[in-house]
Amino acid sequence: MPPWKKTLLTATLAATLGYAASAVAAEVDIPVLVPVTGFLALEGTSQRNGAVLAIRHAAEGLQVHSEVIDTGTSPEGAVTALERASGDKPLAVAASMLGTQMLAMLPLADEYGIPLVTVSGTASITERGNPWVFRFFPGDDVTKTAHARYVVEELGKRRPAVIYQTTAYGQSGQAHLRDAFAKLGVQPVFEEAVDPGVRDMLPVLTKAMAANPDVLVLHLHSGPTALLVRQAAASAAGIPIVAGSAMHQPSTAALLEPAELKGVCAETSASPVSGGTPELEKFTAEYRTSFNTDPDAFALGQYDGIAMVLDAASKGAATPEAIRDVLAQSTYRGLAMTYRSDGKGNMAHSASIVCYDGSSRIPAIVKRYEDLPTQ
Amino acid sequence: MILAQLLVNGVALGAAYALVALGFVLVLNATGAVNFAQGDMVMAGGFLAVALAGLIPAPGFVLLPLVMALMALLGLAVSLTAYLPLRNRPPVSVFISTIAIGIILQNGATVLFGPEPKAAPPLFDGGTLALAGLQVSEQSLAVTGTAALLIAGQYWLFSHTQLGRRLRATAQDPDMARACGIPVTTMIALTFALGAALAGAAGLLLSNQFFVTPTAGGGLILKAYIAVTIGGWGSLAGAVAGALLIATFETVISYSLSYTAATAALYLALLAILAVRPQGLFGEAARRRA
Repeated sequence: MPPWKKTLLTATLAATLGYAASAVAAEVDIPVLVPVTGFLALEGTSQRNGAVLAIRHAAEGLQVHSEVIDTGTSPEGAVTALERASGDKPLAVAASMLGTQMLAMLPLADEYGIPLVTVSGTASITERGNPWVFRFFPGDDVTKTAHARYVVEELGKRRPAVIYQTTAYGQSGQAHLRDAFAKLGVQPVFEEAVDPGVRDMLPVLTKAMAANPDVLVLHLHSGPTALLVRQAAASAAGIPIVAGSAMHQPSTAALLEPAELKGVCAETSASPVSGGTPELEKFTAEYRTSFNTDPDAFALGQYDGIAMVLDAASKGAATPEAIRDVLAQSTYRGLAMTYRSDGKGNMAHSASIVCYDGSSRIPAIVKRYEDLPTQ
Repeated sequence: MILAQLLVNGVALGAAYALVALGFVLVLNATGAVNFAQGDMVMAGGFLAVALAGLIPAPGFVLLPLVMALMALLGLAVSLTAYLPLRNRPPVSVFISTIAIGIILQNGATVLFGPEPKAAPPLFDGGTLALAGLQVSEQSLAVTGTAALLIAGQYWLFSHTQLGRRLRATAQDPDMARACGIPVTTMIALTFALGAALAGAAGLLLSNQFFVTPTAGGGLILKAYIAVTIGGWGSLAGAVAGALLIATFETVISYSLSYTAATAALYLALLAILAVRPQGLFGEAARRRA
């Protein structure tokens, strides 16, 4: 073989191998394991959409393989989905926001070494010393502190009536609200739990009003929040309502007339539909185009979480361990807020209060609480 | 005054629950099988009303006959797929097949309409009326009136028409009915259609005030089951009474106690009724309890 042919062959081989090597290095797998059916389908679909949009925005040169697997609402469904996804050696997983599913997935993530990126609000998932879980949504310790502080410090109310859900979500929120109010020197004048299946809110509203409160504080799921706000408007309760994060969801506001929303506020980690920055408005516009619905804070939190993973991958973090280390040690400026771990995997430490003015279903951000301490 | 207000709300809620329970008990009487998809058919009726409202911008009372007719077709389809092929198998086969139908309806609604809660249009108007010092929702009055009409219509159908007599004969003794020349299979399919139509009506009535989600059926089938057990397994009047009792616990009793305590009290009342009067308040058809 002439020398020039040897040189050409060697160069071609080297180029081919180099390309292949770089192509292999740039291919990552990020499965999306979320509940898109069952009672948490609304929030799970937001999670899925946020993750999918972040993957679509991956840096050029990064080939992301992603499969969406419906976990349903059972712990077994989530474990099975993670088992199935682990076969492809994922770099990270967009993991269910359902606390019971996360608790079931944690041991497996630890065993296989897979970072779980979630927006689950269940406090205990980051209290088990598992280094593989990262929560891109403020926990109740953050949001309920903001909730109580807005009621007391901004509205000047000192006689809250707290109505919450009988579910784990409701109980956790109520416990944190009680602590937050206690730190502010305020004792709720009324507290009662409501089953999510309850349809008529008049009984609880009547009892709450009989306690002579100066503000209604809600921590309910989407449908019950809308039912209570509507009932309060019909009853002309005449006192402000500061609701939980379900109220900020566009699908909740869509159930009510703008007039019924007048004076209603809500805590949330973010409100994409309220705008604020050009990047956020671009996200909202693209989300609407892609999914034919409005984004909520869950979608934005999951988007930011997966975006941070992809940002790390594009900068050379090529293994799950490297991704875990970046998430645990870095600061990332997302669309909703700036994220950093508190050492337990809690990445979000900010919350907002949004209020409706009665003229539309788009709330305005009226107060932002930054860097609230996590417990 | 507040108790009167709560009673009005309770009657409206109970009237809608009664339609759910009636559809449940109709199929139970005709087939001896529990239709676990009944709650999901109520949900389907609610979403159908939402979808039709998008196509036909009309108040609920215009949409109601259309929803009931389309739901009747769905009931026929359910009987053809989930009951008739399995009618000679052990009862558990029908339980499983109706549970499967319910899951299909749930997931179908999620795919078609999304997971968000939706609201159907009100029957007439969404305002409130001041009646004797009470603030009564026009929708609540309309729901009560519509449910009462539908229940009365069903009573008339079963007591004063040849079709009703055939349906009752099929429910009481299918073998004897067949021997008398009654097309039992057709009667059973019609019963499924009637039950689904009532479910559709309940779905439309409930989904305006209380919204509808793909998973709403689970709670409703539980209420229907309790209503029928309280009222008397197989009794149409008992189903209505049981539904009204459940709604009373949800409104009046929960006002006096709390929602959690009212729920516990409801189940205690159920246990007490079963202990003192196992056949339920209005007696019981001689059937095996599911």
